[in-house]
This record gives sequence, structure tokens and C-alpha cells, in this order.
Amino acid sequence: MRDPRAWLRRIAFACLVAAAGLFVADIPDARAEYGDIVINNYSDNAGMRPAIFPHWFHRIRFRCKVCHADLGFKFQAGGNDIDMVKIIDGQFCGACHNGDIAWSVENCNLCHTGKPGTRTQVHESTIQKLAQPAAPQPAATARKGREAAK
Amino acid sequence: MKTHAATLAAILLAAAPPALAQAGKDLYAKTCAVCHATGIAGAPKYGSAADWGPRIAAGLPKVYANALKGTAKGMPAKGGNPALPDADVKAAVDYMLAAVKGAGAPAAAAPAKEAPAKEAPAKEAPAKEAGRPPPPKAEAAARPEAGTAAASAPAAPAAPPVQLALAAPAGAEANSFNRLLKPAEKRNPAPADDGIHDPANDGTHALMAPLSAYAGLPRSLAGNRINWVEALGQKKIDPRWDRTDLKAEPVIMDMNVVREVKGSMPDVVYPHKQHTEWLDCSNCHPAIFVPQKGANSISMASILLGEKCGVCHGKVAFPVSECRLCHSKKKEPAAARAQAPAPAAK
Repeated sequence: MRDPRAWLRRIAFACLVAAAGLFVADIPDARAEYGDIVINNYSDNAGMRPAIFPHWFHRIRFRCKVCHADLGFKFQAGGNDIDMVKIIDGQFCGACHNGDIAWSVENCNLCHTGKPGTRTQVHESTIQKLAQPAAPQPAATARKGREAAK
Repeated sequence: MKTHAATLAAILLAAAPPALAQAGKDLYAKTCAVCHATGIAGAPKYGSAADWGPRIAAGLPKVYANALKGTAKGMPAKGGNPALPDADVKAAVDYMLAAVKGAGAPAAAAPAKEAPAKEAPAKEAPAKEAGRPPPPKAEAAARPEAGTAAASAPAAPAAPPVQLALAAPAGAEANSFNRLLKPAEKRNPAPADDGIHDPANDGTHALMAPLSAYAGLPRSLAGNRINWVEALGQKKIDPRWDRTDLKAEPVIMDMNVVREVKGSMPDVVYPHKQHTEWLDCSNCHPAIFVPQKGANSISMASILLGEKCGVCHGKVAFPVSECRLCHSKKKEPAAARAQAPAPAAK
């Protein structure tokens, strides 16, 4: 440790390696529920996490018709131009998320739960999988597949 | 580079002993808990002495080897994340074992507490090991698990032979394609682990986990891996037909539309019944489908691109992988079809 800068460089290098390790380990291997909708029309720009709508949760409680016919939700992720004013005024999500049928708008963090920067999408949709081939599978999952096949 | 490695090792070594227990706990919460918290797929449940007892009795090296290399019963190697350091995986095992102290043979359980804390840093920084007083007993217990699966084999004679074959690394690369694309243990994860929800958001952890809702629902092979139509038919779920009126009932229309298709695939039977149980006529007619037989041109390409049936199928309703759910009407044999028009033509 003759040169203090060399010591610093070593620490920096070590931190870099550690950070790189963390990054590699944390690459999102998104595998949320089929039909989870990420809506990020305005959220990122407004400094909020994107909203996530879980179809599975809602279809246990309501038929498709309630939202898609009665409330006027189009069958298109991000295609409904929903904003908080509309929700507060009782449109779209606000028809139920009014503190009466379901939690009210003050629970921001229950809907705005997406990782920042996640684009609007129908998660796990066929078209999403077609457009983005699955990332190479690590060996561990590959072996798992082989075991399952036995 | 050597000095860099030594620096890194020194940092890891300095951080390891107090951090390791925490690392084990963190890793458990992040990865292991998905299965081990509830015992999914036969995983030994956290805190269940009954589940862990027989495993501990097989010896700690065996338990470690199972965590690191995976098992035929469903444990993926390192919980499915090969990037994890061995020491962290072992720390997570220790964390789980600590919850079932006293289960299994006491002789086997004892080193469970000692070995990992000493052994893990020793592995990370062998160069520094000379400066530390070696704990002989723990070291001896730790040696076999530090080696390959082959090395751990003699330590666990009770292991079934099939497990040894799987644990052997030979051939792992040649057959590394994952046929399932998404392994079973990664299905239906809790929001915090699903890759799109932000685990740093407190609300994420308040959300319901899909599996807690799916218990008891009929399964399927695709989508959420729930057969929603059957779940409704069996009254396992009772989704409202109206936002507020709990008594409102759908008007079910029981009418099948048969679409003859080109090629060898069976013809499509479209059932209005299952669709009207969920949807209103206006959802599909007239914007998506003109309500007139023969007026709609539908192809698998358009469905794959999210049009026609693909507005829902492939997004929220079962995807196109479930061919036979639509292509369900057997065509007449080719010979019969070839004969039938012949007399008419004459």
C-alpha cells in the first residue's frame, strides 16, 4: 500500500465487481400473472410507479362484462386514457375504487406498484412473447425442465 | 489482479461473518420463501420439524448439496438462480434449519449451526485461511459439501441413486434447453417476486398472492393455469355480474357456431354459452365480430396479433396453445369427403 491511490483503485474495483454481481443477479426475469396489465401512460412522467391491474384478481370478483361493458373499459392496455381526475370522478377504476366497493384513491401504493420504467403491456400475452423471445434460460432451470420431463 | 482479488477477498471476509446470517435471511425472503414458506411442490416448509427432520437426518452435507445442486423432487439448483454464491445459499439453508433446531438426529443438526459460518468465508478466501485458527471439527464436517456432488455422495449413502445421476455435472450443458420455458416453480409468484411489481414499494407486499387465491380452483395448462370457465361452472368462484347488484344474473345464450377450417385441424366450435357467462353481447358484437354467419374472416395469424378471438385469447382468456379447446369438432375422414361430392358432380 505504498500508493494510496492504488488502494483506492482496488476498493473501487472491488465495489464495481460487487455491484456487477448484484446487477447480474437482479436482472428482472418478469413472470407475473397472465393478464396482468401495466399501465404507464402518465405514471413515469408524473413520478409515480406504473399502475398494475391484475385481471386474475378482478375476474374472481367480477365478470368481464362489469368493466368492459358497464364501465366502458376498451379491450386495450393503455387505450383508455385513464387519469386520476377521472378515477376521482367515479369513472373507470373509480367506479369501484371509491372506498365503498374497493379501496379508495388515497391508497396510491396499492395500484401504483410497478417497477419504475415498466412499459404499458399485457403481461405474458402471446404477442408479448412473440415479440420478445424468452431470455436464455440458466442451466439450473434447464435441469429442472429435464427433471419434470422424466 | 492478484492484489485486486485479495482486496475483494478481504472485503468479503471482513463482511462475511456478521453479514452471512443476514444474507441467509434476505435470500430466504427473496427466493426460498416462494416455495419454502408454504411448502409448494413438496418443499420442506419453513419451521416444520416434520418436513425437515428426515432431511436433517440425512446429514447436513446432503442438505447443502440438495440446495446447491437441486433434487429430482423439484428443488432447483440454488433455488433457480445459478448466479448466487454458494455461501449465500448455505446461509439461507442455515436460516431455515435454525427455525427447526432439534429436528432430526441431533448429531447431524449440531454441525448445522457451526459449519457454515466458518466454512463459507474459508471458501471465498482460501488465501486468508492460513491466518485464521482453523476450527477442526466444523472444517471436517464442511469438507464434503465443499466439493462436488460426487464428493458428497459417499457422505450420504442413503441418497437414492437417481439423485446422484442428476447431480453429476456431466451432460448438463448438452441438454440445457428448458422444455418448459417457464419452470413449474416460477409459476404464479407473489407480487414482490414477479418481476413487474416493485418490491421496494410497501403496497406491493400488501397485495394478494395469486396462489393464495388459486387453492381449490380447477387447474389448466396455460395462462394463469386456472380453468376459469370450469371454476365458474363449479361455483368455486362467484364473480358479480353487476357492479353493485349482487343478485344480477347473466342471460346465458346457449348456441354453438361451427366454423369449418382449412387444413387438417378439426373444425372450430364457438360456444356462446361460456362466453355469455362472462361477457355482454356488446363486448364482441358488432365491433369485433359481425353477428352474421360467414361475415367474419378469422385466421390464426390475426388471433396471434391480438385481433378477433385474440382480443382476449392470448391476453386474459386461454392462449392459442390450447388448440383443442376451440378446434374440437372432428372432420369427416378424408375418404368420406372425397366420395361424398363425387356422386353429386356426376
